[in-house]
Amino acid sequence: MALDVAKLGTPVEIGQIGKELKKLWEADGGAATRASMINFAVYCEGADAGERNNEFIVEFTRDHACRALLVIAEPRAPEMKIQAWINAHCHLSRAGAKQICCEQISFMLEGRASKLIPNIVFSNLDSDLPLVLWWQADFPVRIDGQLLDWVDRLVFDSLKWAQPAKQLNRLLDWLEKSQSKLAMCDLNWTRSLHLRQALAQMFDHPKNRPILDDITTVTISHAPDFRSTALLLVGWFAAQLKLELRSYESNAVILATEDDREISFDLVCDGTRSIGCCRIASTHGTVEVARAGESDFFSVQVQLADGHAFHHMLPGGNNRSTSLLKEELALGGRHRVYIKALALAKELL
Amino acid sequence: MPQPCNVVIFGASGDLTFRKLIPALYNLAADGDLPPATNIVGFARREKTDESWRAELKETTAKCSRSGLSQEVWDSVAPRIFYHCSEFGNAAGYVSLAKRLDELDAKTATRGNRLFYLSVSPSDFEGILTNLAAAGLNQSPVGGWTRVIVEKPFGTDLASAHELNEVVARCFREKETYRIDHYLGKETAQNIMVLRFANGIFEPLWNHKYIDHVQITASEPLGVEQRGPYYESSGALRDMVQNHLLQLLCLTAMEPPTDLGADSIRDEKVKVVRSLRQMTPEDVAKNVVRGQYAAGAIAGKEVKAYRDEDRVSPTSQTETYVALKVQVDNWRWADVPFYIRVGKRLAKGGTEIAIQFKQAPSVLFNKPGELLGPNVLVIRIQPDEGISLRMQCKMPGNTIRIEPVKMDFHYGTSFGKASPEAYERLLLDSMSGDATLFARRDEVEGAWKFIDAIEDAWHKSDTPPPVCTYPSGSWGPQEADELLERSGHAWRRM
Repeated sequence: MALDVAKLGTPVEIGQIGKELKKLWEADGGAATRASMINFAVYCEGADAGERNNEFIVEFTRDHACRALLVIAEPRAPEMKIQAWINAHCHLSRAGAKQICCEQISFMLEGRASKLIPNIVFSNLDSDLPLVLWWQADFPVRIDGQLLDWVDRLVFDSLKWAQPAKQLNRLLDWLEKSQSKLAMCDLNWTRSLHLRQALAQMFDHPKNRPILDDITTVTISHAPDFRSTALLLVGWFAAQLKLELRSYESNAVILATEDDREISFDLVCDGTRSIGCCRIASTHGTVEVARAGESDFFSVQVQLADGHAFHHMLPGGNNRSTSLLKEELALGGRHRVYIKALALAKELL
Repeated sequence: MPQPCNVVIFGASGDLTFRKLIPALYNLAADGDLPPATNIVGFARREKTDESWRAELKETTAKCSRSGLSQEVWDSVAPRIFYHCSEFGNAAGYVSLAKRLDELDAKTATRGNRLFYLSVSPSDFEGILTNLAAAGLNQSPVGGWTRVIVEKPFGTDLASAHELNEVVARCFREKETYRIDHYLGKETAQNIMVLRFANGIFEPLWNHKYIDHVQITASEPLGVEQRGPYYESSGALRDMVQNHLLQLLCLTAMEPPTDLGADSIRDEKVKVVRSLRQMTPEDVAKNVVRGQYAAGAIAGKEVKAYRDEDRVSPTSQTETYVALKVQVDNWRWADVPFYIRVGKRLAKGGTEIAIQFKQAPSVLFNKPGELLGPNVLVIRIQPDEGISLRMQCKMPGNTIRIEPVKMDFHYGTSFGKASPEAYERLLLDSMSGDATLFARRDEVEGAWKFIDAIEDAWHKSDTPPPVCTYPSGSWGPQEADELLERSGHAWRRM
């Protein structure tokens, strides 16, 4: 599918982007207010992805004032070619009739030009603002160290990778070499955010706490394509409960507690939602968090051994990339638990 | 007030005349700021007539003038433009120039006022100045004045600058000498003093108690273009740091002057120059990084390495990038490093001064190990002149999440009127006899003294520090990042 470049805005010479943006803002006589809180760069490959991301950025700028850089690469194109466009996305502010506008700079990099991303990013950032880079492809073997230094949040989705362990190892290797302080934001981790919150909340109540101290089995139901999401969830349990890997067969992971008690994690490929259900069983009762059909809510059921039962409905989020990214940016901070969870999940992926 | 005069430009066929000087004079005329009687006389070696030079100037002014070219304005300016053909070393050419200027004085109301603009190589200075003096053109007429504007580079080291100053001093008095540094003519450079001394909130914080460090950056994506031979003999340190960037440092670091007189301000700038900590060869190895651009990409185009540029030595050791950690040894700036970096073929073009304030105490929101970013006040000299202040802000929501935000002021959008070009202001000031925005002899020589110590460590030492390479289109060599990392700092993102 060919990219409809008209949707990307006004074509501009790459060396003239700054001047053209200035003209763009001066054109309306100052009626609109330019707003920017972050630099939001998206790297994707192929026309389809470019089209999707262009639409996404329009939507994204409604809630996040930013300078958006959309980099659409076609690394396998035979000729080296580079094109650029600028665009403004204006929305009426909630406070009144003033238009709040964000600017988008789009690039199409073909052939060898795909390797020019560091310069493209460096030369078009809004100064002093954080840089969020959403990388929607496999990571290259080598990456510019200065680029890594400049990125505050590196967003990726390990679910989309054919070889997630290889990609994650590559990323961790880069980070170690460059000593970059960027925050890794795996949307596959964000995907289970509401589930993890729902599970953790259940143990705030002292009556439910004994279940956590005596878990015997955790059953995770996941849709066929979401096995890595489920494995990251297993990693989360391991990180939070200080569990160690004892054994691993395709759908059964045995982890052990510090006092050498084994917990069985059973992965069940079932349903259409990313993680359809997570059930924690212990001698003191069970906690089950499940999606009700197509609902955006979780149904949470706590059944204690003494016969008491509790039921809650909690937000479940959804699996759309746009929602996941918004969740991610709303969270901020560094994902320390993710790093810990990854230590185990990498071995299982 | 600017007074009518005869502006004589030596180097009338040069690039600066076409791209900057004549468009600046044209724009002054268009804005009604150029005294109507002013004449412009070009002095150069090439054979041209008044008419042919006017035709060339019209064409380039239309391209280079910030306001375009109005036929009506040009028609009023062009009849006052003249061309005088002579070798710079030919004494007779100056005698005929004097005669021609006298005639112009007689025809127009220029009152014998003369402004000589030396837009030539420094090697031509002595010949021109000596011949001007021999023809009596350095003498101010009764009730009028004679002034000389000298373009950079003003020497290549302290010894040559001193020698040049002696040459100038033999022909013109210091108060008649205007050493131009076009950075000082930029609106935002002039605004540094206004920002500091016309606002109540900044000056109390403008010292070592509240400022962590200062970064001054001048970056450009361009390579050396056609200037290979010049650059080979100069390098980034001499070309940019000795003049422009040290001037910006002085304006940032100086004490409040007693008044706004040219010498009061320049006295304070000289004190800063004198306070610059002189570097030993060991200091240079530790606190200065020199780099040279390798092949890379700029604006989507692959570009060649410096050593592959036209008329550049393939084994050149000339620096196209330099980063320095400078200490100003006075009470106000004790232990506050000033980081200066300048480079060609960098990712983005711009000149900025960034004042980075100290962190808030490590309590409440600013947890140890999770420090929020510092407040940064940025003065953008070019392009997009303006000022921004970065601060931390709570994001809307039920949790405390803090992110940096930026308050931004842009000259371009805040004021309807376009800022005049630096040369406009400087030419006007020289016609008014205001030398505030021009460098004084002691400033220039003091700056060279500081720079010479670095050049000597590079070129006269048995173990000179290496010339690091950096890919074109990047933000300079890794070693420059490490220079700041050693003090727990980082170059700001432009």
